[in-house]
Amino acid sequence: MIQPFLSIRKLHKAFGAFTAVHDVTLEIPRGEFLTFLGPSGSGKSTTLYAIAGFQDPSSGDVQLEGKSLLAIPSHKRSIGMVFQRYTLFPHLTVAENIAFPLRVRRRPDAEVKKKVADMLTLVRLESFAARLPGALSGGQQQRVALARALAYDPPILLMDEPLSALDKKLREEIQAEIRRIHRETGVTILYVTHDQEEALHLSDRIALFRDGRIEQTGTGEDLYLRPATDFVAGFIGNSNFLTAEHLETANGAATIRLADGSVVSGVSVNRTFDKGQKTRLMIRPEAFGMERKPASAELAVEIVDVAFYGERRRIVARTATGQEIDIRPTSAAMRSQDLTPCSRQVFFDPAAAFLFSA
Amino acid sequence: MPAGFNSLLPALVLIVLFFVVPVLALLLRSVTEPEPGLQNYATLLGDGTYARVFFNTFLVAAVVTAVTVVVAFPVAWMLAIMPSALASIIFGVIILSMWTNLLTRTYAWMVLLQRTGVINRALLAIGIIDQPLPLINNLTGVTIGMVYIMLPFMILPLVGTLRAIDPMTLRAAALCGASPIQAFRRILLPLSLPGLAAGGLMVFVMSLGYFVTPALLGGTSNMMLAEMIAQMIQSLLNWGLGSAAAFILLVVIMALYALQLRLVGARRMTGGI
Repeated sequence: MIQPFLSIRKLHKAFGAFTAVHDVTLEIPRGEFLTFLGPSGSGKSTTLYAIAGFQDPSSGDVQLEGKSLLAIPSHKRSIGMVFQRYTLFPHLTVAENIAFPLRVRRRPDAEVKKKVADMLTLVRLESFAARLPGALSGGQQQRVALARALAYDPPILLMDEPLSALDKKLREEIQAEIRRIHRETGVTILYVTHDQEEALHLSDRIALFRDGRIEQTGTGEDLYLRPATDFVAGFIGNSNFLTAEHLETANGAATIRLADGSVVSGVSVNRTFDKGQKTRLMIRPEAFGMERKPASAELAVEIVDVAFYGERRRIVARTATGQEIDIRPTSAAMRSQDLTPCSRQVFFDPAAAFLFSA
Repeated sequence: MPAGFNSLLPALVLIVLFFVVPVLALLLRSVTEPEPGLQNYATLLGDGTYARVFFNTFLVAAVVTAVTVVVAFPVAWMLAIMPSALASIIFGVIILSMWTNLLTRTYAWMVLLQRTGVINRALLAIGIIDQPLPLINNLTGVTIGMVYIMLPFMILPLVGTLRAIDPMTLRAAALCGASPIQAFRRILLPLSLPGLAAGGLMVFVMSLGYFVTPALLGGTSNMMLAEMIAQMIQSLLNWGLGSAAAFILLVVIMALYALQLRLVGARRMTGGI
């Protein structure tokens, strides 16, 4: 078996009676961009802090190229990190901040100068070298923090919600910057966020945390198209959950009865259900269409409201049992008669819907 | 004339009457008594005995300031990072000590430090020493007593400065590869400079003019300026010489303050408190 680059083994962290991280195991190949995604308090930051050396795990291990990091203090771990808050040294200029990790390693002057210049180019802040951090915007400060973290070529870069203090436009700009830097440097990145869009946009793989455990690990597409649990389905993207009764499963496709009595067959499942078991059917808002297709299932709804959102429309509809659902067909697929409140059928592909236990 | 100047006039009169006039009177006495001329200054600056008192005064103030910084820094850092409920209790204790009578506290140190005092007897009893340590009537005694009194004046401005430092900055320094010593020297120390400068100046200046503690805990061989001035005026009734000594001290303190404003910057200093 190939030695994984960074491996987290059965990491466990308890604060008194509260377990923050519960037997988390992950293997991260060199050069990967892995995101820890999850709601606040799900253990993602605690896991990151254990890798950084800010928190000792209660049990388990963190290994870099087969060697345990736990006995090594933070300042000897050779890990770069960008924090949620701006943590630049306020009394040092941008150039001195970036030079700091090289200075404490007593690298020769010429090398430090060259590296600082390279890093300033990498984050496109060449003309800001002599400024103090206080004279920079939040976005610029985080770019300097990124340059400082990468200055001594650490094998791993940790990022703890680095964009959460920035506004939306700046966030998108720096996301693009981070992707470019990951591509150009090939550094292994562990990134923590609670923002699913950010995770989908940036990462090679996502580990979705919930209550101290990893719910699912996979590419953004895996999590979106093949969610392992209803929590994953609910956390990634938008979703509608309809209560349903499981009737039977054959060849990996289930037949169910919805609350309004209609029967749907051909639903994707990734586990077994008992006959008559209460279940929830998850359908993505954009999986609904206004027209029947060969394999589609149908759902009788009352259209309550239609709003225009540019490339898509957003429809609020109500099922026969009174449940509100969210439908987002492309605007181009809508005809004008679809837009007025009325009772009608909407359609979805059962293979793109998922069945979870209630 | 700026708006609202008139309503500030009473305050101005008060300052002139009670602060400016006495200082001018002091200056006047120093150059007129016993007869007009600069002979008082010539005596003070030319005589080896007086020079030694000046030197000793600065030595004690410098040692006290240095020791106070070393003791106050960890306390201030602890107060800055601990939960605020606990910190305010400790603050209360520190303030309470400031409110306790100075003379009482100094006499308490005499009881602790003298040859047959609590500290010497305890050390003898455990067998760490077999002769009592000379802890009183010397520089050691003055330093211990004065550091104790000066600590709050250093801790308070320092806590203000240290609280403004994000502890995450130090974690960032650690991950940059800085050892705890490097992080302290390159990050924490420079960032705490405004508080250190404010507290340091306060302690140094207060120490220069201190009377009670050096008089009670110090020896005759290391007399400080305030004691000498008291002697000149009370015992020798030489108001001219005493005034000149006080004026020299004032000029030195003003010069130090000006120097510090230049080095640290007035805005950062007042902002640090």
